[in-house]
Amino acid sequence: MIECKNLTKIFKDTTVLNQVNFTCKKGELIVLKGASGSGKSTLLSLIAGLAKPTSGEVIVEAKQISKMADNFVSLYRRENIGFIFQKYNLISTLSVYNNIITPLIPSNPDEKKLNTRVDELLKMLFMESKKDMIVKNLSGGEQQRVVIARALINNPSIIIADEPTANLDTKLSLDFIEIVKKLKNKNRAIIIATHDPLFFDLDFCDRVVEMRDGRCF
Amino acid sequence: MTRTNHFLIGFAISSLLRRGSKSFFTFFVFSALISLLSSMLFISSSIKKELFITLESLPQITVQQFQAGRHTNIELSRVDKLLKINGVQSAIPRVWGYYYFEKAGVNFSVIGIDQFDKQYKESFERVVQSVDFDELFKNSSMVVGEGVKRVLTQNYYKNYFNFIKPSGEFKKIDIASTFVSSTSLSSNDTILMPKELVLEIFGMNAKRATDIVLKVANPDEIPTVVTKIRNLFPDSRVITNSDLRASYQNIFDYKSGLFLALFIISTFTFFMIIYDRASGVSSEEKREVGVLKALGWRIDDVLKLKFYEAFALSSVSFLTGVTTALFFVYTFQAPILRDVFMGYSRLKPAFDLPFVFDFQTLFLLFLLTIPLYIAAIIIPSWRVASMSADEVMR
Repeated sequence: MIECKNLTKIFKDTTVLNQVNFTCKKGELIVLKGASGSGKSTLLSLIAGLAKPTSGEVIVEAKQISKMADNFVSLYRRENIGFIFQKYNLISTLSVYNNIITPLIPSNPDEKKLNTRVDELLKMLFMESKKDMIVKNLSGGEQQRVVIARALINNPSIIIADEPTANLDTKLSLDFIEIVKKLKNKNRAIIIATHDPLFFDLDFCDRVVEMRDGRCF
Repeated sequence: MTRTNHFLIGFAISSLLRRGSKSFFTFFVFSALISLLSSMLFISSSIKKELFITLESLPQITVQQFQAGRHTNIELSRVDKLLKINGVQSAIPRVWGYYYFEKAGVNFSVIGIDQFDKQYKESFERVVQSVDFDELFKNSSMVVGEGVKRVLTQNYYKNYFNFIKPSGEFKKIDIASTFVSSTSLSSNDTILMPKELVLEIFGMNAKRATDIVLKVANPDEIPTVVTKIRNLFPDSRVITNSDLRASYQNIFDYKSGLFLALFIISTFTFFMIIYDRASGVSSEEKREVGVLKALGWRIDDVLKLKFYEAFALSSVSFLTGVTTALFFVYTFQAPILRDVFMGYSRLKPAFDLPFVFDFQTLFLLFLLTIPLYIAAIIIPSWRVASMSADEVMR
């Protein structure tokens, strides 16, 4: 499903990724681990089409994402990717509901169906009562759950999470792992970059890939 | 058929509300600019309308006498000679002048009426039919425009006025009645009294008049008649209705503030553009565009959002500005601003601005401001949206 071939990314004079080869199949859960600066986040950005590689290819379902025009990559992200950002990247002055629906606004969705979907997600994340709250008034854990709901609103086939439990306590982290398990069971491809040891010994994790100095091991 | 994207419009409006202080500042400046410009347009259209109605009632040809390059009173003996010119229907000598009312700070036109003459203005004809000017002469009285009456009541005596003759003597003239003209400019400016009283107040020679006004049966013949008058009286200045119209228009175009309006348009629009250019896209807005792109928004989705934001803000500001201007000009009679336009206020005192809604000019103003503002918002946003999401959020 996802194939990265000889991916290299150079920022100014720093080689962040160096000839990385990486694959992820449908229904697979891959955990990327490694120290800060090892290139995990950059690899996730390239897979999501948020940035272009200096060289190499990102191929998703036979489409060369790395060679696509900006507008096509955006559409690809909207339709296929659910991205859980480490820094949340929520619009802090908007409500929980409005943040969750933001990815779908350009497609002008059916309001009734959208509301049903938002309610489902909020129920799954135990956030039903917070629907109309302004995001900046939520706790870190609650904000993280809004990010998860936003990532899942478009029913993505690929879920990418960058340090998803960095701001969560152990209980909320375990809740998140449960959500990941449910999503894996729904045959989604999931790639998680994390330092959190909770992920390294998961019985449903297919592979743990270690990254060091911009390379995968 | 494409459905209207209510989500996107709602998102745009919520973005404006979330950036409350910046949006309010832009709204305030934009509305103030539009209000000022619209007020100028409304005032200028109203004065223009008033002036043109006044010009319509002016004589077709006015003949003045010149001596040593200066206007002097014309000999009455010329009237008969002028009447002999083919095409001239009537020649009426006028006795009139401006009298300065120092305390009120205005000049009024004092016009002498001979009730047996044909009047060159319809409104005067109506006055002559209803008032006996012989009686006025006997009683030393005058008929004044409604506006004049108001000014005199406010600044002098209610029922009479003491004119000062060139000799320094007072001439007490009673106010017999008031009259209304088709133009408020005229009714606010004019005092009518028997010709003999005007001659006395201004110390004029009874064998002379201020000027002679002619009526020509066929308006197409005016240029020919003008040439004949110039040949007959080389010391005369012949002014036609169209000359007056052109000269009023020239004075008006300058004094009405057309120049000033252009200056203010440029300054304010420039200010708006500079403000937006300088502030460009704030770091918060830049980050937001990055997030939207990361969530799958395309460049055109971001631009649509920015267009809705800019259009909503500028349209509301425009409508607010125009509405404020309508109230300011027609309800409150444009205090302060109308003085900028009334460069001839020493000659023409206050009058009510007639309602004129110049849709074309407003539409032009709309085109000059709103698209410019939208462009100033969209261009920097487009620059940001064209960058990769990762780069924008970094």
